[in-house]
Amino acid sequence: MVYLDYAATVPMLPEVLEAMHRAETQFFANASALHTPGHLALNEIENTREILAGLIGAKPSEIIFTSGASESNNTIIRTFEGCQIETSLLEHHSIIESAKKYTGDKLPKLYSYMLANNEIGEILDIVQIVKDAAKISLPKSADEPEIFKPKTEWGKPLVTDRRGAYVHSDLTQVLGKIPINVHELGLDYATFSAHKIGGPIGVGALYIKEGVPLTPLIIGGNQEHKRRGGTYNTVGIIGFGVALKKMRDERSWELYDTQVRKLRDELARRILAEIPGSSLNTDITPGKSLPNILNASFQAAEGESIQLYLDAEGIIVSTGSACAAGDIKPSHVLMAKTGDAEVAHSSIRFSFGLESTQKDVEKVMEVLPGIIDRLQKISTIEMKEKK
Amino acid sequence: MTDQKCDKKSNNMENQDWVYSEIVKEHFLRPRNYLMGDESKFKYDAMGLVGNPICGDQMKMYIKVKDNKIVDIRWKTYGCASAIASTSALSELAKGQTLDDALKIDAKQIDDYLGTLPKHKFHCSVLGHEALADAIKNYRDK
Repeated sequence: MVYLDYAATVPMLPEVLEAMHRAETQFFANASALHTPGHLALNEIENTREILAGLIGAKPSEIIFTSGASESNNTIIRTFEGCQIETSLLEHHSIIESAKKYTGDKLPKLYSYMLANNEIGEILDIVQIVKDAAKISLPKSADEPEIFKPKTEWGKPLVTDRRGAYVHSDLTQVLGKIPINVHELGLDYATFSAHKIGGPIGVGALYIKEGVPLTPLIIGGNQEHKRRGGTYNTVGIIGFGVALKKMRDERSWELYDTQVRKLRDELARRILAEIPGSSLNTDITPGKSLPNILNASFQAAEGESIQLYLDAEGIIVSTGSACAAGDIKPSHVLMAKTGDAEVAHSSIRFSFGLESTQKDVEKVMEVLPGIIDRLQKISTIEMKEKK
Repeated sequence: MTDQKCDKKSNNMENQDWVYSEIVKEHFLRPRNYLMGDESKFKYDAMGLVGNPICGDQMKMYIKVKDNKIVDIRWKTYGCASAIASTSALSELAKGQTLDDALKIDAKQIDDYLGTLPKHKFHCSVLGHEALADAIKNYRDK
């Protein structure tokens, strides 16, 4: 199998699996318990917390564990229930849907923007986006407080007036792909997920800057210093820690920038050269996108069909065209970016991981041109121009 | 593989190595009666068109009619795997039928023919049926 859907989930690393298997018996105790087995389990949890904090420039006390990115995102949105929430259509549904439901007109204000997009991998200039959003929505009346004062440029601390605005970023897709420093990004909150880095599904984390508000989503326990109730998922958090440690030790962002980028760029180049009617939705210029994501569209060929023809050849990718329940919705991200439903319906996302090889690119290009050609020939849509 | 696209009807998923049943897979990977390339290659008497690429699927059905019977049939589609498989199945069911009988082929029959089209893909089989009805209407209106 050629697996190129790493942006959806990364197969669990063997060392993660092994550590979790061991933990099931070794660290079975409730980590909140005061006895020795409970204490040992808590030690393991704290170990993961320290590794994550170290990787993102935070203090361990600023990290809590959750059941995943959706819970982390929902926790932040619910903290700002009734407040002004600025976000974008490029976000994950766990932000968009909850923001729609809980936004209001009170202050403080919350800005929530991803650093990199899930579907096309675009790296966003959060500082600029927050600045622009503030410009549009700042109250003009002289009586209103100046709620947001961006004082620095990209890459430097973003200073916010604590009376007025806070910034959250969903960093799920970028963790391990590019270096992250929550202070440099000017963040008050950040979301992470274990299964995007080779850890288990069902474990996430939330960075909460010291001193900023937080309303727990799950109440009823003193865990995480009353910031998230519920018995600790010790085994899952141990798995997350092993994946984080590997990421740190091998400096995965450097591998993504070199070996993974090389494969992604080669696939992009070959698709454009060998497949008529193809176009890239990802800007592969260094710095513009995550090095492991390539989103491409194929004129007159429908994404789900392309995906399943590839699937039948043992090549696993994803599409921005989801056909379900009589309602065929193109990707909200591609629609927001391109405004072109045909481009969105004809899109395929190839996402690479550290295990991807040159052979994967070759296998894709052995079959993809034929699949596209056939779909284009039986398509009701005329090809606009031959390349 | 994941067990997505599974519904009550296809409760034999654990025996499958693909998201759809073998027969859907067969019609998707080796569709019958499709029209490849330029549509002028097929001398048809009437054509039906439904759907819109903006919505993600569009279907064209071409029929050749003799003595009130569909003697040959071709189709083109821009659509998902289920749309391709169900149109392929429909073309097999309609070939050789009288126009009246062909009109009676409904989505349920296509679904039964394919056996295990997931419920959320049912509309895909309706699309082919509508394209055929449109072609027959166009033939009769001539």
